[in-house]
Amino acid sequence: MDKATIELLARRAGLEKALADFPEDIVIAATQASGAAAKMKAPTDPRAEPWPPMRAGDGL
Amino acid sequence: MTDLHWLGAAEAARAIAAREISPVELMQALLDRIGRLDPKLNIFIRLDGEAALAAARAAEAEIRAGRPRGPLHGVPVGIKDIFDVAGLPTTCHSKILIDNIAAADAVSVARLRQAGAIVMGKLSTHEFAVSGPSFDLPWPPARNPWNTDHHPGGSSSGSASGVAAGLFPMALGSDTGGSIRTPASACGIVGLKPTYGLVSRRGVFPLSFTLDHIGPMTRSVTDNALMLAVIAGHDPLDPGSAAAANGHYAAGLGRGVRGLRVGFVRRFHEIDMPAGPEATAALEHVARTLQAEGAEVRNIALPPLDEFAAVNRVIMSSEAWGIHGPWLRERPGDYGQLARRRLMAGAFLGAGDYVQAQRRRREMIASVEEAFREVDVLLCASSMDPACRMDKPAEIERTFPRQARTPFNVTGHPALAMMAGLSSGGLPLSVQFVARNFAEATLFQVARAWEQAAGTNRKHPPIG
Repeated sequence: MDKATIELLARRAGLEKALADFPEDIVIAATQASGAAAKMKAPTDPRAEPWPPMRAGDGL
Repeated sequence: MTDLHWLGAAEAARAIAAREISPVELMQALLDRIGRLDPKLNIFIRLDGEAALAAARAAEAEIRAGRPRGPLHGVPVGIKDIFDVAGLPTTCHSKILIDNIAAADAVSVARLRQAGAIVMGKLSTHEFAVSGPSFDLPWPPARNPWNTDHHPGGSSSGSASGVAAGLFPMALGSDTGGSIRTPASACGIVGLKPTYGLVSRRGVFPLSFTLDHIGPMTRSVTDNALMLAVIAGHDPLDPGSAAAANGHYAAGLGRGVRGLRVGFVRRFHEIDMPAGPEATAALEHVARTLQAEGAEVRNIALPPLDEFAAVNRVIMSSEAWGIHGPWLRERPGDYGQLARRRLMAGAFLGAGDYVQAQRRRREMIASVEEAFREVDVLLCASSMDPACRMDKPAEIERTFPRQARTPFNVTGHPALAMMAGLSSGGLPLSVQFVARNFAEATLFQVARAWEQAAGTNRKHPPIG
C-alpha cells in the first residue's frame, strides 16, 4: 500500500488526529492489515458461507 | 501441610470445608505474599484486600454455621481487568477506561462468587487484551516469576504470573488469539481456552466477538477442571453462548490415556515455525510419555500456521475496529503505542476481507474436524520459544507470533496449554492439547496423564 493510499484510507476512516500525531503508527497499522489480507487464501468453494458466530442450541 | 500459598483451589476448598484451615488464614497469607512480591511482579491493577478479608471472614462464619456455599467456598481468585467486578474499575489496563466503574459482575465472576470464591482484585493485562507488554500505560506490565527480567506472556499476563507465583490459586483469563495459553505457556501453568460459547462472555470487555473465549488459569489440571465446572454453562443473554450442557469435566482425571488416539501436529513446530531444540525435545518427550502410558500417537496434518494466523488477524482487526474506531478517531493519544498500532489495522480492511476471512474460517474448521475423525486429541506446540527478556522489544516482536494457538480461536475447538518442561535457562517450555468441541473432559484426561507423569504441577518458580 503506497503512502497516498494509506492517507486516503486513514482519512476516510476518520483517523485525521492519528494521522497528524502518529503517522508512523498509521503506516504500521496499514502494513499489518494488508499483510494479513494478502496471506489469506480465498475460499476454495464458491458456495462457502461465512462462519456463523455460534449456532446456539446444539453448540457449534 | 504444603505452604498455604502453594495450595491448589481443590485442596484449599477441601481443607477449608474440613476446617483444617481458615479462609481468613489463607487470605492473609496470600495478601502478605502479595505485599512482598507484587512490587517485583506488577500483577495487580487494583488489589481489593480489605473486601477480600471481609469476604473470607464471612466465609469462615458460614462454614462454622454449617452453611457451605459451593465447591470453591473461601478460595481466592484473581480477575483479569477486562472482566467486570461490581464496584471496581474495569480499566482494560488503559487510560481510555481509567474511570470505568462496573455496575455488576461479569457472568463468570458471578458464578465463581456463587460457588463461594473470593475476588482478590483486578489483574494486569495487555491493553484491551491485545498487543504486548507496554511501558507507556498507566500501570507497568506484569513480569514473569520464573525470571522477572522476562515477560510473562499475555494478554492475561497478571493472571498467569500471579497463579504461577502463588499469589492466588486460580484466575480468570480471556483468549482471542492465545491470550490464556500464551501466558500459561510462559509461566508454566495450566490455561484452558474452552470451546467457543461454553463460558459466557457477558460482562467481559470484547476484543473480537467471534474469537473471544473465557477460561480458567490454574496450577493444576484438576483445579482447571473444577474451575471450568463452575464458570461453564449457557447464558441466554450472551448471543454467542452455546446451549451445551455443563459437562463432567473431572470425569476422566486419573483414567489415563490407554487406547486414546493422539494426533501429533509436528508440522507446526518443524516446518511452519521451526522451534528451538529444547522446545522440540520437550514436545517429543510429551509424545513418548503418552505413548508409554498406552496412547496411540500418530502424525496428523493441518493447514499451515500462517494461514490460520492471517484469518485470525483479519477477523480480529475488523471486529476490534468496530469497537475501538470511535476512540481511535477522537483519543488516539490515550492508547499505548502497541495497542494503537494493532487496533487501527482494522481501518485498512474492507468488508470483503472480513467476509472472505469468515468463509475461509469455515473451511479451516472443516479441516480440523476431519482430523478428529482419525484421532481423539491433538498434541502440538504452544510457544516455539521460552519467554524472552522484557527489555528487548525487537525480540518480543519476533517471538510473540511464533506460536500455534490462533488456529483454535479460528476453529473454536477447546485447547489447553501447560508446561512441557524447563529450558536450560530455567524458563517454562510448553505443550498444547486440543479436543473435539465440548470434549474438555478428554482434554483434561490427557493433560492430567502428562502432568502426573512429569510432575509439572509441583514445579514452582524460584521466587519469594
